[in-house]
Amino acid sequence: MDFLANLGLGFGVALTPANLGFALIGCLVGTLVGVLPGIGPVATVAMLLPLTFHLEPVSGLIMLAGIFYGAQYGGSTTAILVNMPGETSSVVTCIDGHQMARNGRAGAALTVAALGSFFAGTVATLMIALFSPPLALVGQSFGAPEYFSLMAVGLIAAVVLAHGSIVKAVAMVLLGLLLGLVGTDGQTGGQRFTFGVTILSDGIGFVPLAIGIFGLGEVIANLVAPQQRRELVSSRISNLWLTKEEFRQAWPASVRGTLIGSVLGVLPGGGATLSAFAGYVLEKKVARDPSRFGKGAIEGVAGPESANNAGAQTSFIPMLTLGIPGNAVMALMIGALTIHGIQPGPQVMTERPALFWGMIASMWIGNVMLLVINLPMIGLWVQLLKVPYRQLYLAILLFSAIGVYTVNNNTFEVILTALFGIVGYIFIRLECEPAPLLLGFILGPLMEENLRRAMRISGGDPMIFLNRPISLGLLIAAALLLLVVALPAIRGKREEVFQEK
Amino acid sequence: MSVNQTSPALSRHFLYRKDVLAGLLFIAVAAIGLWASHDYPIGTTTRMGTGYVPRMLCWILLGLGAVVFAQGLRGGGSLERGRPLWRAMIFAPLSLLVFAELIAPFGVVMATIALVAVGALASRESRQLEVIAAAILLALLTVAIFVWGVGLPIPVWPEF
Repeated sequence: MDFLANLGLGFGVALTPANLGFALIGCLVGTLVGVLPGIGPVATVAMLLPLTFHLEPVSGLIMLAGIFYGAQYGGSTTAILVNMPGETSSVVTCIDGHQMARNGRAGAALTVAALGSFFAGTVATLMIALFSPPLALVGQSFGAPEYFSLMAVGLIAAVVLAHGSIVKAVAMVLLGLLLGLVGTDGQTGGQRFTFGVTILSDGIGFVPLAIGIFGLGEVIANLVAPQQRRELVSSRISNLWLTKEEFRQAWPASVRGTLIGSVLGVLPGGGATLSAFAGYVLEKKVARDPSRFGKGAIEGVAGPESANNAGAQTSFIPMLTLGIPGNAVMALMIGALTIHGIQPGPQVMTERPALFWGMIASMWIGNVMLLVINLPMIGLWVQLLKVPYRQLYLAILLFSAIGVYTVNNNTFEVILTALFGIVGYIFIRLECEPAPLLLGFILGPLMEENLRRAMRISGGDPMIFLNRPISLGLLIAAALLLLVVALPAIRGKREEVFQEK
Repeated sequence: MSVNQTSPALSRHFLYRKDVLAGLLFIAVAAIGLWASHDYPIGTTTRMGTGYVPRMLCWILLGLGAVVFAQGLRGGGSLERGRPLWRAMIFAPLSLLVFAELIAPFGVVMATIALVAVGALASRESRQLEVIAAAILLALLTVAIFVWGVGLPIPVWPEF
């Protein structure tokens, strides 16, 4: 079997000193971002992306990937010690994690979060290595109609799994699709929505869009909102070890969380946050005594923490094999690949095996690093929490400015970022989820291209999407998703899942 | 975020409702899009022109905007009370622009200090000494990380 040979190739790439260094930087930055509330992985990846343009593609991707899953580790620290989620994916960890800390079991909670994440990360890495090749093979048989339908499913799933109003989320996707079309039409050479601004004929860059909406918009919203007080559990974290009883309760929860996270991560629109919520709900359902939850049940930490890390990692599968982003960070990864001149899709695995397997191997190495970074260095991360937001946001502004400016040393992109920052703030105030917009933005030009191709093949007959079995299957899946969400019973459940706090 | 049914905000004018405003936003974008694309060639379904997909998307967005607007009229949460914090909306984006304008002629150190100075105006809670300390520290960090570390081709000091 090629499996071992592939992994060998991957580790060969990932274990070079330079790539180990980039993985470490990614994990450190990711943990930092995870620990600090008020700055998320999307904004960070967007800010640091321009720096990776000078690197080898594989090194850049290794570092960016480290930021994404590193943030899942770091987010739990803040949730447990401060009762404030460092990331949205650790919102549920606050519930039981912080109670454990108050009961004097902060060390155990941190350990179970880190070990659970490590276990989940290891399993998820194996899943990626096992399931990517067959999926890429399926992807290679796809033509334009299949790709169009696949992207439609992806966007619809992203909408269904977003929280809040579905109609608004669909509208945000359309807004993203429209923004993605700004510039010169690749087929006809016509200008679209450039309003006479010459520089816009190259289109809107995804770096200013992402940094503006996810970075700057978030900063404005945080400055407007009254500052929350941080309630740090100050008792010293003396004992990191679990008791036998705690271990017996935690490990099955961790296994369940890993499984549910791995599955939900692959789904378009899935990823860390959804996995964590689902993991918590599942633990509460299977528990013999659900009343323990909310009072420091260790399963309530082990389950969601394993699930969010598994979900964060398996969400790479559709991105790597099909070129379809399932969440906002993956959309940025697609953008990064494109800038390096790599067309994302099933051919990446066969044409760039070193990149593909090197990245997968680096994920496991990154998980080992995170375990080391997190447990012994916990005191250092806690110190960082003492930096007040009124100083932190200045650093965020600076890194945003440098990130955008260095894309191509151009003031126009910074102006765009400033505008998108204000737009992003408006979205937050109006409760419009920005993640579907970013997915639409990345997929817009691709969808149009595949739609045009499909229509040329069929001579303008839209039935081509229904006559080809794979395309039909995908569209049925999309329709079912929409239908299911429209059912009142499910809608209630969906809201319940997102409201669990 | 759940809508607090007992919130006094509900009694406010319907124009303050989030869904009403969001719906109007979508409708406005769709209308601008349709106006801007009115002379784009549509082409045929087999050979789609420049305007085919954008105009189709605009029409769908217009419809969705109307649905969101209608939902907003029926109820839903209103904007929180309290004046919007204009200083955050003005000075946070402005600080990025100042940085971009200053970096080429004056170097990254000056640009960083200017960004921190303008950015600090965005918060009510900024304290003078902390801001000065942050400016110095961030300027040092920027040069260390981005110029020495990453090797970005940006000037450090003003060029005469």
